[in-house]
Amino acid sequence: MIVLGSNSEIAQAFVEKVLEAGEKYQTVFLFTSNRETTQKFAQHIDVKFFQQTEIIELDLMKEIDYNKFDDITSDLLFCATGYLGEGTDEALYNNKNTEKVIDINFAKLVPVLNFFAAKMERQRSGTMIVLSSVAGDRGRQSNFIYGSAKAGLTAYLSGLRNYMFSRKVHVLTVKPGFMDTKMTEGLPLNPALTATPRQAAEEIYTAYKRKKNTAYVLPLWSIIMLIIKNIPEFIFKKLKL
Amino acid sequence: MKPNFIQKVTNWGNFPVVEKEIKSEDSIERIKDFVRNNNEVIARGNGRCYGDASLSEHIFSTRRLNKFISFDRLNGVIECESGVLLSHVLEVIVPQGYFLYVTPGTKFITVGGAIASDVHGKNHHAEGCFSEYVEEFSLLNENSEVITCSRTENEDKFWATIGGMGLTGIILSAKFKLKNIETAYIRQESVKAQNLDEIFKLFDESESWTYNVAWIDCLQRGKNIGRSIMMRGEHAFKHELPKKMQENPLRLKKKMIPKIPFYFPDFLLNKFTVKLFNFLYFNKQQQKMVKNYVDYETFFYPLDVVNDWNKIYGKSGFIQYQMVIPKEKGKEGMEKILQTIAKSGNGSFLAVLKLFGKNNPHAYNSFPTEGYTLALDFKVNSRLKKLVTDLDEIVEEYGGRIYLTKDSMSKSTLTNYLQNVQNPKFVSMQHKRIMNSNN
Ligand SMILES: Cc1cc2nc3c(=O)[nH]c(=O)nc-3n(C[C@H](O)[C@H](O)[C@H](O)COP(=O)(O)OP(=O)(O)OC[C@H]3O[C@@H](n4cnc5c(N)ncnc54)[C@H](O)[C@@H]3O)c2cc1C
Repeated sequence: MIVLGSNSEIAQAFVEKVLEAGEKYQTVFLFTSNRETTQKFAQHIDVKFFQQTEIIELDLMKEIDYNKFDDITSDLLFCATGYLGEGTDEALYNNKNTEKVIDINFAKLVPVLNFFAAKMERQRSGTMIVLSSVAGDRGRQSNFIYGSAKAGLTAYLSGLRNYMFSRKVHVLTVKPGFMDTKMTEGLPLNPALTATPRQAAEEIYTAYKRKKNTAYVLPLWSIIMLIIKNIPEFIFKKLKL
Repeated sequence: MKPNFIQKVTNWGNFPVVEKEIKSEDSIERIKDFVRNNNEVIARGNGRCYGDASLSEHIFSTRRLNKFISFDRLNGVIECESGVLLSHVLEVIVPQGYFLYVTPGTKFITVGGAIASDVHGKNHHAEGCFSEYVEEFSLLNENSEVITCSRTENEDKFWATIGGMGLTGIILSAKFKLKNIETAYIRQESVKAQNLDEIFKLFDESESWTYNVAWIDCLQRGKNIGRSIMMRGEHAFKHELPKKMQENPLRLKKKMIPKIPFYFPDFLLNKFTVKLFNFLYFNKQQQKMVKNYVDYETFFYPLDVVNDWNKIYGKSGFIQYQMVIPKEKGKEGMEKILQTIAKSGNGSFLAVLKLFGKNNPHAYNSFPTEGYTLALDFKVNSRLKKLVTDLDEIVEEYGGRIYLTKDSMSKSTLTNYLQNVQNPKFVSMQHKRIMNSNN
């Protein structure tokens, strides 16, 4: 299994879910920008599941040496890399923030996904599970830089799925809504709309097994986003969302 | 959206409820910053203490310190972060033929909480407290340094922290020994006792059993006072198990856990329903003695079969009153206590009697001392304060004390036994309450 963004609580919960379900991998490749904390997770799953891992440093904001990844292949890729950045109020005109948000969520990520997609295409098998966001479903004034990067990612994934269909590779786009993670700690989120990493992992695992194309982590979100997407633009632009 | 860490927090008894800062982190650097920048910090595990022990102005939740670190499968030593739940430890160790030496009546507590309260199980008379099996732990102290504490390194902090109720710092991780088992099952005997005399005799006779506990019907009066069921148990060997259990003796089937969906309305739990419950519980068993094999969850964690069962006590919450009375006067004291409860009409759903063995003199902050210990649940209502005051009087008269991890309103002279824990960094609402009423 290949995990991109191994420090994400959702990625970790998903790895645990898969191993709990009894699936075995020769090696779980943990890609991360923070070796130290990922090391903790690697030890954790070694104790819990007797699972061998390899930690591989990957920082999307730096030059990537793809030669190092040559030998890494798997039937399952899980990608949870993402960066929320500052919201509109704090940083709309801060170009550093804008670039970083677009790079990590889209521009620098897509080539990495392409690299592993190519391997699966050659294998003629595999599943790529990639976390996008409900924020990409429609740009809203509060965080549309992040939202637009995720919209780009969602569009890329939908195209990739289409391209890969005849090549026997499946692509699952996951759109978590509010999550109870480090990223959102202390924010006033509605508990009914907020999923724990564990819940997310369960939902994603089910969607993966059912070969779903897109999955919202809490089913309620598909309804909410359906409504949000269908509000006519002349009304939508006046809303404070 | 700006982060705001103020939240409503309450522990298992749903009393008291406070609005305080609660923060959770897994990066040591950020935990250090949190401690450096705040006074009146307290660690909180899974909030399974009943009252105000893990509440303060600034609460550090260990829920993100949830990783295993190492497992020496040969020697049965495991190391993990302090927020790992005992239930998760069991999931890992039981299939490998290991068990916890000491476990409380719920597995939904953290390793940090187990050390800070120095929890005991049904085997205190035989195997002591949780701390007996702790080899070392790391502690973030009041100077924001991480120190290793063991019997040979920083011993003073090691012993002050055991049973120290979080007042010496934040336990970050711990290493502890495990016990070998052949199966995940317990050979159990349940024996009925008609009154206190019988149950005390049973405790004497059962001293060679590893696990002992009695459920008391505490609404009985007169000659029936102390009517109870004693349950004693041993880890079963594979060869003694019924055939069916022998097939996969270290693995239990996953069970569905029902959940109490909302707070029960206040009128539901009253003297009548408690009486009924106790009647059914006592009479469920027809014979004087039943011998059988049960899985470890049924034996150790009967209350964990329903999630959020604390909600049956309604929104106003409940307390648990647990005290210990020295052995010589144990029976006399218990009799008085049970009489007082029966007279008050404040029924307790759950009343558990255990016998503690000798205490570990090094673990001076640990609650257990040799004697009888009784734990009772009471719904919070207008008469409760009076009952607690009355019970406190009796405990004091017999030279006993109260278990801090369950306390939220007992007399300070019964609860102020902690030593070497005073510092302005780590302060709980409980400690403040006790200290303030002391002077
Ligand atoms: C149904 C039920 C049955 C129980 N049965 C028993 C029993 O049989 N025997 C027994 O001994 N207890 C029993 N208890 C009590 C329980 O075991 C203790 O209260 C335990 O400490 C709770 O652990 P927690 O992780 O929930 O910690 P919390 O309740 O959050 O905290 C308890 C105390 O530990 C401190 N603490 C927690 N984590 C840390 C840390 N990382 N570093 C420093 N301090 C920390 C807190 O400050 C607080 O003082 C029972 C509780 C319940 C709900």
